[in-house]
Amino acid sequence: MTGGNLIRAVRALPWSGKIGLALVAFWIVIALTGRFIAPHSPGAFVSYEVFAGSSGKFWFGSDFLGRDVLSRLLVGAQFTVGLSAIAVTIAVTLGTGLALTAAVGPRWLDELLSRAMDTLISIPSKIFALVLVAAFGSSIVLLTLIVSITYVPGNFRIARSLAVGLTKLDYVEVARARGEGRFHIALVEMLPNMIRPLFADIGLRFVFIVLLLSGLSFLGLGLQPPDADLGSLVRENVSGLGEGALAILMPATAIASLTVGVNLLIDAATQGKVK
Amino acid sequence: MSAASTPSLWRGAGRLIGKRIGLALVTLLLVSAVIFTISGLLPGDAAQEVLGQGATPEQVAALRHEMGLDRPAPVRYAEWLGSIVAGDPGQSLVANKPVADIISERLPNTLTLAALAALVSVPFAFLIGIASAVSRGRKLDRGINVLTLSMVALPEFLVATIAVLIFAVELLWLPSITIVPKDPTFAQFARAYAMPVMVLAVGVVAQLGRMIRAAIIAELDRPYVEMARLKGVGPQRLVFRHVLPNAIGPIVNAMALSLSNLFGGAIIVETIFNYPGLASLMVNAVTSRDMPLLQACAMIFCATYLLLVLIADTVAILANPRLRQV
Amino acid sequence: MVDVLSTDISRRALLGGLAAGLAVNGAGVGSATGQPRAGGRIRIASTNSSTADTLDPAKGSTATDYIRHYMLYSGLTQFDGQLRGRPGLADRMVTQDNIVWNIRLRRGVHFHNGKPLTVEDVIFSLLRHRDPAAGSKVKTVADQFASARRAGPLELQLRLTGPNPDLPAILAVSHFLIVENGRRDFSKANGTGPYIAHEFAPGIRTIVRKNPNYWKPGRPYLDEIELIAIPDEISRVNALLSGDVQMVNAVGPGSVKRVRATSTHSVMEIPSGLFTNLIMRRDNPVTANPDFVLAMKYLQDRELIKRALFRGFATIANDQPISPIDPNFNPNIPQRPLDPDRAKFLLKRSGLLGVRLPVYAAPVANGSIDMGSVLQEHAAQIGLKLAINRVPSDGYWATHWMKHPMTFGNTNQRPTTDMMFSLFFQSKALTNETGWNHPRFDRLLLEARSTTDAALRKEIYGEMQLVVHQHGGLAIPAFISLLDGYDRRLKGMFPIPLGGFMGYNFAEYAWWDA
Repeated sequence: MTGGNLIRAVRALPWSGKIGLALVAFWIVIALTGRFIAPHSPGAFVSYEVFAGSSGKFWFGSDFLGRDVLSRLLVGAQFTVGLSAIAVTIAVTLGTGLALTAAVGPRWLDELLSRAMDTLISIPSKIFALVLVAAFGSSIVLLTLIVSITYVPGNFRIARSLAVGLTKLDYVEVARARGEGRFHIALVEMLPNMIRPLFADIGLRFVFIVLLLSGLSFLGLGLQPPDADLGSLVRENVSGLGEGALAILMPATAIASLTVGVNLLIDAATQGKVK
Repeated sequence: MSAASTPSLWRGAGRLIGKRIGLALVTLLLVSAVIFTISGLLPGDAAQEVLGQGATPEQVAALRHEMGLDRPAPVRYAEWLGSIVAGDPGQSLVANKPVADIISERLPNTLTLAALAALVSVPFAFLIGIASAVSRGRKLDRGINVLTLSMVALPEFLVATIAVLIFAVELLWLPSITIVPKDPTFAQFARAYAMPVMVLAVGVVAQLGRMIRAAIIAELDRPYVEMARLKGVGPQRLVFRHVLPNAIGPIVNAMALSLSNLFGGAIIVETIFNYPGLASLMVNAVTSRDMPLLQACAMIFCATYLLLVLIADTVAILANPRLRQV
Repeated sequence: MVDVLSTDISRRALLGGLAAGLAVNGAGVGSATGQPRAGGRIRIASTNSSTADTLDPAKGSTATDYIRHYMLYSGLTQFDGQLRGRPGLADRMVTQDNIVWNIRLRRGVHFHNGKPLTVEDVIFSLLRHRDPAAGSKVKTVADQFASARRAGPLELQLRLTGPNPDLPAILAVSHFLIVENGRRDFSKANGTGPYIAHEFAPGIRTIVRKNPNYWKPGRPYLDEIELIAIPDEISRVNALLSGDVQMVNAVGPGSVKRVRATSTHSVMEIPSGLFTNLIMRRDNPVTANPDFVLAMKYLQDRELIKRALFRGFATIANDQPISPIDPNFNPNIPQRPLDPDRAKFLLKRSGLLGVRLPVYAAPVANGSIDMGSVLQEHAAQIGLKLAINRVPSDGYWATHWMKHPMTFGNTNQRPTTDMMFSLFFQSKALTNETGWNHPRFDRLLLEARSTTDAALRKEIYGEMQLVVHQHGGLAIPAFISLLDGYDRRLKGMFPIPLGGFMGYNFAEYAWWDA
């Protein structure tokens, strides 16, 4: 895509898409630069007061230990955005890839994959994550893997049901009659027709991964201190909720704006292609 | 539906169900093997967890022997498998009670909560899914879109905590923890369940509503819809008679997933509202390394999921003529 | 012969713990002037409950278990506000050498099923802990019971393996509550306690009802108590404020302001000897290095931990385990300050500034993750990199605690100075957390036990505190206060520093003023 095309595509977006794009772009920039523009070290105890309000020195106040909320938020965004983006990419690539394989592959392969996915999906995701973290520890890499694996089966089911629906359609049967290979049918004939419903799924799945990460920190399984993703920031400061502390309001707002932004953008982008 | 196709249809469904039950058993076996393997990797065992911080090695050894943990893992698995096939999930290692007793205390709770949440959320999900699909791109659609997004934009534990602060602590309208008295009146029942059901429903309505919207929109773009529209079929009839039956496959699939999530994924709601359900029981079984109990919970969750998916697939096949010749 | 139980307490003890506690502590909770009223039904929430909940006092392992056991069973002795053993089922305990104890039982006590209490019940209840298969949590303590024999219809003689002047307090611990002779199946509870079990669903709830034949006339006051557990602190406090429960323990320090801001509820602060400590093992070359250990102690930001983690509901500690509420506390040891420069000097001198060591912490060790973060930050500022490894609570004691060079431990208030030292510091103790070997400390411990002179004993204990402060491989930044939240209509309680809910003993004292 050339620069001109890109600008035209952005212009063509409805207002909701533009807002989404702005939010997503904002969070990508924060994720990339947050660590460098943070005014304080995210672990430093800089304020004598806990749950302090906004001040010139601490724009977003201080957290439950007197650390700078803004700095922790800037660094936390990096973990949330980065981890979720990587995890959703792994989950969707694996899920859709396996779904296509299952749809066009031999019958036994379909059965095998479906059973494997059923096995994974039928164990409730948070409990599954809990067991894995208890067994293997919670490093960043492992957490990413656990979260992606947790969301592969969901994507697989949706993608497979889309793909199986497509295999019965005339044009796929025509392609098959033409003697096209399975690989070609899957990627060229089927995948493009699955993109739009899949994108809706990706957006939601991204949200779920962000939320699963914070759910895991609720259960005490998140990142290792002093690192903290946005969900952990909400969780660790939840005792400030009663007093309306910025330490909890700001990361909560951050999560909401990130998830809403991603979905607005994806919705708009997929709708824009109506022929 | 033509009379001629009905018998073959039922035969097809029957064959499908029979085959599915066989496959379900295979899946259950796989799940139990996975659970057993992973839980074998967990640090510590039930004897150490029960005895805690100040246990002496001889006490641990004695308790291990009593629990049968001193035998090799494959033997224990085989024994468990043998008894579960005979219909007996065994004795809890920790609670000194049959697993079946512990489960039967919690299962009704989980079923009630999941059923109520489903009852509240499914109609809403259909309503907003259909409404936003038919008004695609218009104000209503965009409004619903932002609404559903903001419903799932915050972590569940935060939504639940905020709800408790408002409705239980500030307004004193609803209880902050879910305790259902024996033989409750309808008012007691409704008050007890209002908040956990609301919190669970928020997520499901948004998720399911969006999936329904996407599935309907995918159908609306098909040529036959255009044809029907040209023939002068009204928008309502179009959606309910033509589009919905064709979109039902992905929709019921999404529903099966949502319901299965409601059933097994209520851990945070169970924690915050202190509701004695199966999810917290399973977490409890993990943390106390109570293998028979853990396995039983996993089997129930897995079986429920498989049942829901089976229903979803059956419905999809019955509704979609193209899929009938399986 | 000295009757240990009746020295200086005669009338007060007969009046009951309430009066004694009020006299000593100055202030009880709720109205001290009101006359206790009978009747009422309350629900209380503790912190944790699971399918491992038990009706067997020997196996009790959580606050919820202890509370349940004290409701259903009685002990030979009971704690007062100073953690001294007062008459319970035993109305007299006499000894000359702290080794042979003659114990006389109260007359006319009955179990819930009507069976009268006998000497055989008591002997069984005490000696069963020695059997490894019984799974008792106090086996190591019970191992000092050499023998117990009947000495009369209501008299028994307990012989210890060595002198122990603290026996009356030890017997007040919930694990030593008295059960029926020969009882091994604890699916039902049959005790002599103030309440009778009505419903017991492990991991869900316990409901008990007033025992009309309780051996203390007029007690208990409440008709029914439902005990549940709400593990999530925010939910627990919310349940209190919304009126769904009338009492909770372990209120988070951050929630105290919110509870006290209401007109209906309040929080009772109970200073206690509970602490979370950094353990440095002697079996690792780095953490055995005295310079490294001392540097870690100088890196403790005790002020910050007290202020931020516990919002002031803590007492600054001095790297030794005896807290100021213990009568044997030694106030003459100078307080160790936060001194990063000194820590850096020590680390440089030992050549260990460059090591990279993980510190294991878990939520189950109260505040350890945040204490770890505080330490990590101060260490980073002098160039020492510490990784905090947060691990799940389950499996922590079995697989992490004391198993790595640096882990966090968490120790509750023990009823006696001796118990604290012998459980966690004696060189041969199973839970000798740092794995140190200090013959002089061990000698002092035995010396203290065998002396019958309380003043001399206090002096010895004081010296032992100094030894741990100087040479122990552990950093104790603070003693953590216990915080109980309660509905103001719930009255009659006074703090017993053993644990929340009046040292788990609230049930027979509390009454409902409505």
